[in-house]
Amino acid sequence: MTTNRRDFLSFAAQGIGATALTSLLMQGNNACAEKIPGQAGDLPPHHRAKAKRVIHICLCGAYSQLDTFDYKPELAKRHGQPLGGSEKPDVFFGKVGLLRQNDFEFQQRGNSGLWISDLFPNIAGVADELTVIRSMVAESSSHTPATLHENSGFRLNGFPTLGSWLSYGLGCETDELPTYVVLPDARGLPAGGTSNWSQGFLPAQHQGVMFQSKGAVINDLFPAREIAANVESDSRELHALLNRTDRERRGNSDELLARMRAYELAAKMQLAVPRVTDLSQETAAIKAEYGFDREETRDFGRSCLLARRLIEQGVRFVQLFSGGSFGNPRINWDGHEDTKANHTQEALRIDQPVAALVKDLRQRGLFEDTLLLFTTEFGRTPFAQADAGVLGKGRDHNQYGFSIWAAGAGLKPGIAYGATDDIGWKAVENPVAWHDFHATVLHLLGIDHERLTIYHNGIQRRLTNVHGHVVKGILA
Amino acid sequence: MRAWFIVCLLLTFLAHHARAAEPIDFDRQIAPLLAGRCLDCHSGSEPKGGLDLSTHASATKGGDSGPAVVAGKLNDSQLWERVLAGDMPPKKPLPEKERQLLKAWIEAGAKWGSDPIDPYRFTTAARAGYDWWSLQPVRPTAIHQIDDFIRQKLQDNKLDFSPAAEKRVLIRRLSFDLTGLPPTPAEIEAFLKDDSTQAYEKLVERLLASPHYGERWARHWLDVVHFGESDGFEFDKMRPNAWRYRDWVIDALNRDMPYNEFAKLQIAGDVLQPNDPQAVIATGFLVGGAFDSLLPAGDAMRQIMRQDELEDIVGLVGQTFLGLTVHCARCHDHKFDPIRAADYYSLAASLAGVRRGERSLPAKDTPSELQERQQRLVKELKSLEEVAQNQVLAKRKQDQDSGKVQLPESFSSWEFDDNVKDSKGKLHGQLHGKAKLQNGALVLEGSDSFVSTAPLPQRIKAKTFEAWVRLADLNQRGGGVMTLQTLDGSLFDSLAYGEREAGHWLAGSNFFQRTKDLQGTAEKDADRQFIHLALVYHADGRIAAYRNGQPYGREYQSGAALSFDPDKSQLVFGLRHGPPGGNKMLKGAIERARFYDRALTPEEIAASAGVASSYVAEAELVAQLNETERAQRESLKSDLATLTSQLESIRDPKTFAVTPQQPAISHLLIRGNPTQKGPEAKPAGIRSLTPEQFDFALAADAPDAERRKKLAQWIASEQNPLFARTIVNRVWQYHFGQGLVLTPNDLGYSGGQPSHPELLDYLAHEFVQRKWSLKELHRLIVTSRTYQQASLPNEAAMKVDSQNRLLWRYSPRRLEAESVRDAMLSAAGELNTARGGVSFKDFEPFNRGGTQFYRPIDAEGAEFNRRSIYRMWVRGGKNPLLDTFDCPDPSTATPTRGSTTTPLQALSLLNHSFTLRMADAFAKRLEREAGADPDKQIRQAFELTTGSPPTAEQLAASRQFVQKHGLSPFCRVLLNSNAFLYVD
Repeated sequence: MTTNRRDFLSFAAQGIGATALTSLLMQGNNACAEKIPGQAGDLPPHHRAKAKRVIHICLCGAYSQLDTFDYKPELAKRHGQPLGGSEKPDVFFGKVGLLRQNDFEFQQRGNSGLWISDLFPNIAGVADELTVIRSMVAESSSHTPATLHENSGFRLNGFPTLGSWLSYGLGCETDELPTYVVLPDARGLPAGGTSNWSQGFLPAQHQGVMFQSKGAVINDLFPAREIAANVESDSRELHALLNRTDRERRGNSDELLARMRAYELAAKMQLAVPRVTDLSQETAAIKAEYGFDREETRDFGRSCLLARRLIEQGVRFVQLFSGGSFGNPRINWDGHEDTKANHTQEALRIDQPVAALVKDLRQRGLFEDTLLLFTTEFGRTPFAQADAGVLGKGRDHNQYGFSIWAAGAGLKPGIAYGATDDIGWKAVENPVAWHDFHATVLHLLGIDHERLTIYHNGIQRRLTNVHGHVVKGILA
Repeated sequence: MRAWFIVCLLLTFLAHHARAAEPIDFDRQIAPLLAGRCLDCHSGSEPKGGLDLSTHASATKGGDSGPAVVAGKLNDSQLWERVLAGDMPPKKPLPEKERQLLKAWIEAGAKWGSDPIDPYRFTTAARAGYDWWSLQPVRPTAIHQIDDFIRQKLQDNKLDFSPAAEKRVLIRRLSFDLTGLPPTPAEIEAFLKDDSTQAYEKLVERLLASPHYGERWARHWLDVVHFGESDGFEFDKMRPNAWRYRDWVIDALNRDMPYNEFAKLQIAGDVLQPNDPQAVIATGFLVGGAFDSLLPAGDAMRQIMRQDELEDIVGLVGQTFLGLTVHCARCHDHKFDPIRAADYYSLAASLAGVRRGERSLPAKDTPSELQERQQRLVKELKSLEEVAQNQVLAKRKQDQDSGKVQLPESFSSWEFDDNVKDSKGKLHGQLHGKAKLQNGALVLEGSDSFVSTAPLPQRIKAKTFEAWVRLADLNQRGGGVMTLQTLDGSLFDSLAYGEREAGHWLAGSNFFQRTKDLQGTAEKDADRQFIHLALVYHADGRIAAYRNGQPYGREYQSGAALSFDPDKSQLVFGLRHGPPGGNKMLKGAIERARFYDRALTPEEIAASAGVASSYVAEAELVAQLNETERAQRESLKSDLATLTSQLESIRDPKTFAVTPQQPAISHLLIRGNPTQKGPEAKPAGIRSLTPEQFDFALAADAPDAERRKKLAQWIASEQNPLFARTIVNRVWQYHFGQGLVLTPNDLGYSGGQPSHPELLDYLAHEFVQRKWSLKELHRLIVTSRTYQQASLPNEAAMKVDSQNRLLWRYSPRRLEAESVRDAMLSAAGELNTARGGVSFKDFEPFNRGGTQFYRPIDAEGAEFNRRSIYRMWVRGGKNPLLDTFDCPDPSTATPTRGSTTTPLQALSLLNHSFTLRMADAFAKRLEREAGADPDKQIRQAFELTTGSPPTAEQLAASRQFVQKHGLSPFCRVLLNSNAFLYVD
């Protein structure tokens, strides 16, 4: 029997070989998962935590609040009219066409009566679980700075993201899996590639670890070429002996011990990763729920189901990307040319899987201590991206008001918080900035956002920079 | 008993009273309180409530509601009343201690000090003032030996030096420290044999003279200056010529360029020595950071982005050379250091002319030997491909002759025989001006004649233009043959002639947005005969042109293809775009034209042109080759690409550097907001650092060159105490693993105190005395007893000082990422020591929608076995192996690297293809060099990786393993061992 570079095509298991082997390697080593402590100085919890872990669905390209969660009848009335007023909107491509009504019908949903459009029929079905914030404001209307801001609290490259901060602050409930796992869109990485889950200036173990849907799940999980099982186990033995005898010569050192331990953990990970990514253990019914039997939903369905399995195994933060990079043909939510066509294509991929995830988390009781986030970097304009007097089909970037939602532990479900103006352009009631949102997420995880810090180049840095207020209005 | 109690009480009271009666020092106690709690609102030109607390007079006079401070009279002092009531400061009531202090001060007569208040006069418990240690001049010290400073502190803590390290340990330590590479067994042998008293000094000299020294220490510098070879952000565009700055740093260090010159050239080399290409390259320092090249249309957003960029540059300069976090004062005065927002904007003004881009360097003659090699490679490649191409073409000719090739279906077609109607679709034309039909062609005379069609019935993105054209003369410029445009002509794609370059066809577009030179040949025949032209627009933005069925120039990638909306777009002939007039009109005739709503293939175009295409697509070619030929071709292509870029950089050398632009007058921006301009900011330094020299005596509109010259002189000056302190602390850190100050980018309040303040001053003083020579500084440090100590732990000392800040031993350290990789290459005998030049790329770059991606590849071959510093450091394309070993994100300044230990690191080092490949090469080397005896092989393997022979137990276990599994798996284990990864 041999181990080699495993192709976990479609996250499917062919893990039996690998699993059996790694069990062999682990003989005499009682492999049970242990917690990894956080590293922060002022160690959380700072207060009682409502949530222990997070699944973050990050929608790249900026979906339109007007066509999803922010119902504006007034906009429909003014459809085809000029924006009016004296303000010249500072939009990304500089074109202000006529006002354009929502391209999807809205309905009130569930017992809560939340307004959700027909773009997301399945998510609308779990409306009573959602806490929608309709008054988000961003600092930039350029995708990448805005996405960096959404995830790291800064518009610049090089700052740690939410997942890294949680890893640093809270550690992990298992040492068998990475603390922060990233599941990119199967069509490609978001613009900026892996720098989207950089740990910035936090220690390296806090970076997001990408699970790939093609090829090896994690880089270097198994040797790049076949190595016989007995060679592998003898190698480990020799390795341990060399390190042990070396330690006798160099004396005791925590660091040398830690490195020996890291190799043991690596072996545990070789066992745990194939196990957790083995979706064959799920029932056909569950897979159908997540959309495995439809071409359009299969990719994101896998990511959603895998996210749940990772969370169950004690991973702290799982980040799913809906959407890859920019350019044509569009493979994210950046619907400049035709928002309706673009959003239809993208929503089809995620609507059913996301709704299935919500239901699944609820059914398994995971929502008791899991937080689900559904965010995008900014919204879109109520007026078309077209020449003056023209009613184009696309909408430009809008940083002044947009909608996101969260669900799960510690939140008031089935509510919409905050509001934009009559046409859904700018947040006018209870505006929420990313810093406020981050402060709230940290709060739910038992962290005071002003106390989770690390010294870097002159400042005790934090996720919320020098801003941020917990949004009390959405807390249960 | 009771009397005793009363006495006690009385004494306590008296003591308390006496303390309260101690005179209050306004400048030390009250001024910082007022500054920290009140002056944000109650000072300046429009103080809140009319109350200005920053001067004695205005505080006494008070605000709208009466006098704020009345000496000795608490109840009449509004200041006290409001504080007592908890109204002030708003939301954050004054802590009890401060309240008592304020009360005592007013009661005691409210004596004022410096007027107006200078909150930075003294260091307080919360922030640094002008008297902060690092801002004081460097003081000469009484002792002159590193070891004496260290010994003193050790003795104070009842500790002592560790014994001297063994020679084997020393040579390994020094080799990695100075060159980043392990010593060879021969070098170890020679050093062990050298019994002279100068043996160690000789070793130091040899290593400092090694060119590997610069490669090692340049990497440290590149960490600090967050050097990257791509833009980052959305586009992450590659910077193919940024490597010259990397080479410049290596070379400057190897030549031991005085540090003050090293600094000045990086800030202002291009203006200090404009004729020296090396000085221009040095300014790569200022522009090495991330940069967002995607500009929004809106001005507000652009201004914020520019301010973000300047913050990065000011931060870079401040932290690198001054150890000050100046950038923290962008939105407000610095919270911890005596740096005002005004100081920040003065520095920003000094650097406001910095823009980034490519600069041409003087060309050199291309070595004929390289050119010959290139020609040879081209020839080999051609002969390899030709055979396959001919086979493909022969087959195609056959198909053509047998009528198998079908003409592509067009969307619209105009024959221009006796009308301008679309014979295929609905895009019927209309003649304008003097346009006419003659002899079966549309004739255009060049002033006002053109044809326009009906609006498009559907959206068009991918498309192909095709036309048979004759030109009236070849010298005309800018006329359009066939154009798809919005009705107003503001957006358009056009098959045009001679617009940018005389005699050349091009794909014209609004503001050249999708236009690049096609690099076709100049037109010679179109004035004598009709020629067939086709222009293909792919949906993903690729544009290709064809002339008489053959590719015209090169296909290129334009941003994104433009979508043309139905009803709002039309085709025009003879006009580049509407409205008609100027140089947009074509002079000539069009015999026929066709329009397709998709991108035609080269074969289709050839067929339509009535010729057999000679274009052989990559896929067709590859399919025709056998496996050996394919491999051969790949290797030829890769060699050719490397050689070509090498030649290109010699023929037309460019460097990524400062491309200065005269800046507008700078202003202080209130709360960092570009729309809230404060007073003008003149280019200047930081006042608190050098109160005598900070003013550059420059006007607010001074030329960029003057600004940066003055800035460079101000920074790299002996009068600037932070300049020398910062660098000697850095160098100390790299030698010992931690600095005397633990935060090398921050010698301000948040960075804390040095462990050995006098030693820091001694080093700074010596450094300047020794003419800013870094190599002298290294010599001074590594020849100390402190540096040559053993690294063994000592329990008693661990209890007193587990972090080893007092240096009772040399701290063992894990190799840094690059050294892990370089040492593996070195042990395996695979290290390619070629120095400098174009970076090697261990990734495959690909572009999607304007965004550059870098997919890691498993790169094999000598080119990829160069030292890690020569890897291309793109921001979006990290090397997974180096990454797990704490290689920093090149977007963030990294003065101190982490050294983590993680399971992912273990997996990477065990399983990465690089490790396995090195293990194989290592095994072969052992067989080659140590003969067949396993013990000899094992001993040499240990020497090469750990610098020491194995113990008897290690040897026995290794022997058993090698006999069972062979050498390569053994080498893999050794490359994962602690003894390899740690340096004592």
